[in-house]
Amino acid sequence: MISLSQYLILGAILFALGVVGIFLNRKNVVILLMAIELMLLAVNMNFVAFSSYLNDPAGQIFVFFILTVAAAESAIGLAILIVLFRNRSTINVEDLDTLKG
Amino acid sequence: MTFEQIVFYFFSGVLVLAAVVVVTVRNPVKAALALVLAFFSAAGLWILLEAEFLAIVLVLVYVGAVMVLFLFVVMMLDINIAELREGFGDYLPIGGIVAALMVVEMAIILGPRRFGLAKVPVPQAHGATFSNTRMLGDLLYTTYVYPFEIAAAILLVAIIAAIALTMRRRPETKYQNPAEQVRVQRSDRLRIIRMPSEKKG
Amino acid sequence: MNFMPALPLIFLFGSTCAILLIGLYVGERRTSVVYVLSQVALITTVALVIRDAQAAPIVALHGMFVRDRLADLLDIAICLLVVAVFVYSRRYLSDRDMYRTEYFVLALFGVVGMMVINSAAHFLSLYLGLELMALSLYAMVAFQRDSARATEAAMKYFVLGALASGMLLYGMSMLYGVTGSLSIAKVASTISAMPPGNIVLVFGLVFVIVGLLFKIGAVPFHMWIPDVYDGAPTVVTLYIGTAPKVAALALILRLLVGGLQALSPSWREMLVIAAFLSMGVGNVVAISQTNLKRMLAYSAIAHMGFALLGLAAGGREGYADALFYLLIYSVMSLGAFGLVALLSGPGREIEYIDDLKGLSQRNPWIAFLMLLLMFAMAGVPPTAGFYAKLAVIQAAVDAHLIWLAVAAVLFSVVGAYYYLRVVKVMYFDAPEDDRPFVLPLDGKFLFGLNGLSMLLLTPWIGTIIAFCHSAIQGLP
Repeated sequence: MISLSQYLILGAILFALGVVGIFLNRKNVVILLMAIELMLLAVNMNFVAFSSYLNDPAGQIFVFFILTVAAAESAIGLAILIVLFRNRSTINVEDLDTLKG
Repeated sequence: MTFEQIVFYFFSGVLVLAAVVVVTVRNPVKAALALVLAFFSAAGLWILLEAEFLAIVLVLVYVGAVMVLFLFVVMMLDINIAELREGFGDYLPIGGIVAALMVVEMAIILGPRRFGLAKVPVPQAHGATFSNTRMLGDLLYTTYVYPFEIAAAILLVAIIAAIALTMRRRPETKYQNPAEQVRVQRSDRLRIIRMPSEKKG
Repeated sequence: MNFMPALPLIFLFGSTCAILLIGLYVGERRTSVVYVLSQVALITTVALVIRDAQAAPIVALHGMFVRDRLADLLDIAICLLVVAVFVYSRRYLSDRDMYRTEYFVLALFGVVGMMVINSAAHFLSLYLGLELMALSLYAMVAFQRDSARATEAAMKYFVLGALASGMLLYGMSMLYGVTGSLSIAKVASTISAMPPGNIVLVFGLVFVIVGLLFKIGAVPFHMWIPDVYDGAPTVVTLYIGTAPKVAALALILRLLVGGLQALSPSWREMLVIAAFLSMGVGNVVAISQTNLKRMLAYSAIAHMGFALLGLAAGGREGYADALFYLLIYSVMSLGAFGLVALLSGPGREIEYIDDLKGLSQRNPWIAFLMLLLMFAMAGVPPTAGFYAKLAVIQAAVDAHLIWLAVAAVLFSVVGAYYYLRVVKVMYFDAPEDDRPFVLPLDGKFLFGLNGLSMLLLTPWIGTIIAFCHSAIQGLP
């Protein structure tokens, strides 16, 4: 038997990896975007687990919409990334430092 | 160990490993492939949770479309990987410690004391005739039609934004205009001129 | 299913789609058609909201949508702010080859998102409205795609915005797990029926608050604000600095006050800290700025701190004062960024405070209006900004947060320094370049109204506050 807390702890591990990945990554914006996907996967894991254990479909519906929005979000994120690369010829996070003050 | 537990530990082990690879590896192609593996494992876990439709969507939409888009962009950008490798792992130990601390703190709250089997029993499994897809579909087009429409607006915004940001019209590129090509008349291409016939000299 | 309460929203959504198609057909040379249609759509939306304005809340669309005084007031405020933003930005856009259909369509979709937030009665509509707004904003920041600064700002905004959404969602998943519902009203009733001190609820609440503070740009989650305000094209900064601020307050009121009122002792403490830090960091760091847009960005952080002061004070009085403060601030911010956009003519970008040198000699009327706006931001009586500050500080005193009220007064004195520096530069420094500022007629007229409103609103302050109070009454 698998308990709800096992799924939630799995979600917590994924979420922590995503957050740490965003703050640690100093080199590559693409991996930054992937860490965001990982965070959303953690949230989805929580929602699906709760939905199943509460026997309530609303959580699964929410996940459905999170997946939709995340797809739209990554399309815009990658579009911004392409424009950034055209302008700067780099996707190194450390080079994104022209805005200061 | 029951079969379910074996499946759970296998998939979650692979999932966590793949996630670690995503955030630590420097090569974006490898990271994207690891993320694909993570999504596959998550889909496996969701099937275990009887969320079959979402598991399929995760594989079809996420792996099939979004991750392919990621890989496509990574390949297109032609990133200098050697440069990105420099200074590898400076922050890795600190990051690992922070992540571990976060997980421990969260696990204390989410642990078996509050969400264990004694508190939240395993739900009754649905029968073989139960359709998860039908249930979600019924809800999605009735109760949740308002969010559904907003989601449509979000996708439209994503389309507009992606086109507005990345489409470039190069002045030197020559375009065909099919409408003009179809509409073309004989008089546009051919000019018949009347001239006196010349005498053979 | 009753669609009528959502009519203004549906109308704006439909007309935005229509404008997108019309924009494709009229082509890039006649964007003025799109401009006029966008304005007409927004004003018609306001008329539709006013037509059906009702005192009693109506819940529609399967409990996802609520129409009450608060939603009506915020919808009207947001639509009118965006009308003004369009007037201010018209010439700036056409001077820079940005006068295109996509700009207006994205801005209108942003407004649709904000209206969804204003009327959200369910976590799902709240989240989707937030994302609709945020995605439009990311794209607008990157809209000047040849500018490396703008795209860098867009990337930062995108990553931190997505991080904030992730935090908010994680918190929502915890609230869902404990209460078993996603409807805000049901979550509220379940939580108030539970014994207090549920640690999982507080755990979820922390993530929700972090996500919200990120979104509204309060310290310690403010780092993206100056970069985005500075890097984005000025007209986009103008947009971001006005309407989404109002929507951010709607987000907090719907989620924290509407849904998590039972947890208010916990979240009020967190907001007290965020309010104190925002007022402090915003006002102190703004002093050292030479870039006008960055200075206004830090000022925005500080003003958000003042609005949080009202929320942290709690009670209907406090929430109404926060709402009043934010409405007044959005008008001041509209004027200040609007001026920057209006003065940036072809080939001239107003970027530094020194670019305003000698404005009083070059255009005394505009300089006087800017003086009024700066006085209002600093909170000098008898401008509307003074009454706004007075209201939130009064709310803090009433809630026995005396130390926070004292800190607010001290920080607004510190803040007065950099607003008055702008006035000093305009009035006492010699102009460096003598080219006259030629303002478009509509922008000039609106800016006059905008600046004078800081004085002209004074007799009606009581009425506006009373209206804010009646708007808050609709919340559970």
